Amino acid sequence: MTEQLRESLSALMDDEATELELHRVLGELEHNTDLRQTWVRYQVARSVMAGQPVSHAGLDISRSVSAALAAEAGAGERRPGLRERWLRPLASLAVAASVTAVVVLGGQQLYQAGSPDAVSAPVAASGVSAVGFVNSLGAVPMRASYGAQAVPQLEPAARTAYRELARQRMYQYMQEHAEHAALNSPQGLIPFARVPQIEE
Amino acid sequence: MKCLSWLLASSLVCGLALGASSAAAQRAACSEADAEALDWLARMARSHSEVAYHGVVTLQRGDDMQVVQVARSLADGYSSEHLTRLTGQGAQVIRSHHPINCTHPGERLLNLGDRVDPGDCGLAGYYRFQLSPGERIAGRQSVKLEIQPRDMYRYGFLLELDKETALMLRASTLGRGDKVLERFQFADLSYGEPLEPRQGMETVHPAAHPHPDYPAAGARLTVPWTVSWLPGGFTATDNVDPAGSRRTYTDGLAVFSVFLEQLPRELRPGEGLARLGSSLSYTRGMHLAEQPVLVTVIGEVPVNTARMVADSIRVVR
Repeated sequence: MTEQLRESLSALMDDEATELELHRVLGELEHNTDLRQTWVRYQVARSVMAGQPVSHAGLDISRSVSAALAAEAGAGERRPGLRERWLRPLASLAVAASVTAVVVLGGQQLYQAGSPDAVSAPVAASGVSAVGFVNSLGAVPMRASYGAQAVPQLEPAARTAYRELARQRMYQYMQEHAEHAALNSPQGLIPFARVPQIEE
Repeated sequence: MKCLSWLLASSLVCGLALGASSAAAQRAACSEADAEALDWLARMARSHSEVAYHGVVTLQRGDDMQVVQVARSLADGYSSEHLTRLTGQGAQVIRSHHPINCTHPGERLLNLGDRVDPGDCGLAGYYRFQLSPGERIAGRQSVKLEIQPRDMYRYGFLLELDKETALMLRASTLGRGDKVLERFQFADLSYGEPLEPRQGMETVHPAAHPHPDYPAAGARLTVPWTVSWLPGGFTATDNVDPAGSRRTYTDGLAVFSVFLEQLPRELRPGEGLARLGSSLSYTRGMHLAEQPVLVTVIGEVPVNTARMVADSIRVVR
């Protein structure tokens, strides 16, 4: 996948793509399996971030998006008057918005239709063992990580476990990040004020 | 700790400074409107080595407000700084005896005069600037510098600098829709007189001094790795050790670090996110050279940036 495509795809997922990028990505999705996989992955990630459970199948809704776009384009082919040309940028925004709506609606429909044993990512369906971290550490900073201590078993909700992991890592790494940020951003030692618990 | 190799650091700075005359030419090529703003940023960066002060700073992140005391003193070519938490944890961070001419990449990025590539407008290539008169902050008159990102890979900032010294009096980090994610602000500020660090703190941490030219010592991995995509304008803050567990990057205003852990056993692939103000922790379980790894991006960047950086991690062969 080219750099540009990946950026466009990412922009699309963040609702920040231009219409041009949208068409390029959708055009490419037709025959680019690599891009399709990334699309599905980003979409899963997005749903995970939004706190929605995600079913493992049928996340690719690019076809319905294409259809929505085609309908939109058809509507726009009537002889455009001056007023319409003026409004064209607005129309583009409307297309982008409707795509977002399709993406979101599509996800929700899938969620409702999804099986109770929804998984957090399609790759997880390939049968790796569920090893992870349990949400029981509270505000205690977790030092070092897996090496020194037993890794707690994962509860079924991988999504919650990953959120907890991210939180633990923020405790674990913020000070090391601050050491470098303090020398490389203009606020002096202030980055240390972001560290949850300063340690010697 | 001192800047380990003073000579090396200064030769690096001098090497870059040779391009100063050509830099003046490109500065003319870059937008006039930005030039004045960039001058202020450069002055702000320099104020680090020129202004001694002490004061009280508030750091607001959502509902959370912290109050810290900060001070910097200058003597004989060295600066000493300390930060003391006045709320919550009784902790203090001290950086003493830091050579004034030991500059780090972040500061150099704020000094357009140091740039050598033709047509490179430095930060102006990645941010738009607007300068206007500011209000009174901590009793000082300020200038207001609005900084809008030109792409979606970084946040915007609103910096208010002391009109006389260019010291940063207030800094707001702005997310999408100009939502304030974090605000740092001097409540009280005095120039000059040195101030002894407060006594009786439970934790006193001497800030590390990772030398820009040497990789930091730390955990080493068996899989050498590289970040193959960075948002424009970001550079590594120190020399990268391919087997090191951390990388840190800055564009002069924003900083993020990437941490990699090799896991002892399989972890279900996935990703998670935690936020605090403008800080983000993005964690991704993935495979690298068929080994399970956990990648974490920590820093003051949007989640999209963190995800794309994590996406771009490759094995060095």
